Amino acid sequence: MTALIFSVAILAGVLFVVMYLTLLERKFAGRLQSRIGPQRVGWPFGYLQPVADAVKLLVKEDVIPEVADRKAFNLAPVLVVLPVLFVFAVIPFGENLVLADLNIGVLFVLAISSITLIGIFMAAWGSKNKYAVLSGMRAVNQMISYEVPLVISSLVPVILAESMNLSDIVAFQDRAWFVFYPVLGQLAFIVFMVSAMAEANRIPFDITEAESELVAGFMVEYSGMKFAFFFLAEYAHMLAVSFLAVILFLGGWQGPWLPAGVWLALKVFMVFMLILWIRWSLVRIRLDQILALSWKVLFPLSLLVLLLAGIWKMW
Amino acid sequence: MAFIKEAWDVTRSVGQSMGVVFKNLLRKPTTVSYPYVKRELPDRQRATFALLTNKETGEEKCTACLICQNICPSQVISMVKEQVNNRGFAKEFTLDLGGCIFCEFCVQACPQDAIVMIKLWENSEVDREKLKLNKQNLLDNQKYQPSEMIGSKIREMQSPPKAAPKPAEPAP
Repeated sequence: MTALIFSVAILAGVLFVVMYLTLLERKFAGRLQSRIGPQRVGWPFGYLQPVADAVKLLVKEDVIPEVADRKAFNLAPVLVVLPVLFVFAVIPFGENLVLADLNIGVLFVLAISSITLIGIFMAAWGSKNKYAVLSGMRAVNQMISYEVPLVISSLVPVILAESMNLSDIVAFQDRAWFVFYPVLGQLAFIVFMVSAMAEANRIPFDITEAESELVAGFMVEYSGMKFAFFFLAEYAHMLAVSFLAVILFLGGWQGPWLPAGVWLALKVFMVFMLILWIRWSLVRIRLDQILALSWKVLFPLSLLVLLLAGIWKMW
Repeated sequence: MAFIKEAWDVTRSVGQSMGVVFKNLLRKPTTVSYPYVKRELPDRQRATFALLTNKETGEEKCTACLICQNICPSQVISMVKEQVNNRGFAKEFTLDLGGCIFCEFCVQACPQDAIVMIKLWENSEVDREKLKLNKQNLLDNQKYQPSEMIGSKIREMQSPPKAAPKPAEPAP
């Protein structure tokens, strides 16, 4: 019974936080460009803007193209959102505050989050739209390439902590966060962040939904609540990435003076803001550059980091 | 070696662009919250029209010379002339803002400085007929602040520079 209540609480909490993350991004983006951002709906900080957006998307007409493959078209948004929400089942929000304390937590997260790709390709294929199909192919290219450095770089904390359990990994960092391990920690963190951002389709790696060339990429035919599902998935993915980065490299809830929950929230917020900051400062890079970055830079770098972690552990 | 240099270049340029963006975060937003705060308009801002009356005598300045009607490229001005006491008056004067291209030709051409442009720029209407200004509307518009440019001023600016006055010859 407690598990049920806890899971509902996590689900509601994640959805609520994700709703307000959109507002946070818009306000932050505004400030980064000398603007104010949304402020009219919910004067003076626009705190009702997400509600207004949600209502707008709910009452919008739901258009399904005549030629679309209806089954794939309707199933795709669900397949995109669900894996991301599954990730939150194994993320520890504090000591003993985790829904499913899997002893293969890292493996579960990496495995389940790559299912999103199937949903994206399904959406692209089901819409029978040339832009969507192009975008789906790019998505497959990009995701498969970045899965490799992502997995290898998230093996570094696993090797150092000798456990795949996320709670154990956090508990191991009570003296020094992994990011503070000389050279090894920083390199692994950078590789992890870059490939995780590519996985989450954020600028500079957002060629899958490149607005200026592909309109909206794989979600070009979607409208109303199905469109909102894709956005929900994107922001939930970013939130999950922030949580993972904090747990794997930044010591989770560990930290002096402040209580554990505050530390976790603070770190997640900082990582999320870092992602936003990068998104609003860089330009989109080309497909060939993205693949080159993955295979020529991040892949060798992640192997090197893995080697370093092994040497560190043996020594 | 080339690889290290390239990596350094990429890192540096990414850092630079992120720094530039971060500077904006510390700056005050330049947005003006429009309906609550109205920005100051430039001196030469011009939007709608007004017909002026002579301030001393209270007489209309317009003599219905038809120059503005003839010069208007989109032909939105039309008037009916009337002769009273040896001078012309516009009996009717209509200006259709819906077709106006705000070229200011009528203001430039007006020999009496009778028609001017004013700084009232919030003149959107839901009814197209309301954009047709008649003589009374135009006379009422006098109460708004006029643009700095009026006919005689523009003509003075556009005329070729006058030759410097000859120095007076010294008396013999």
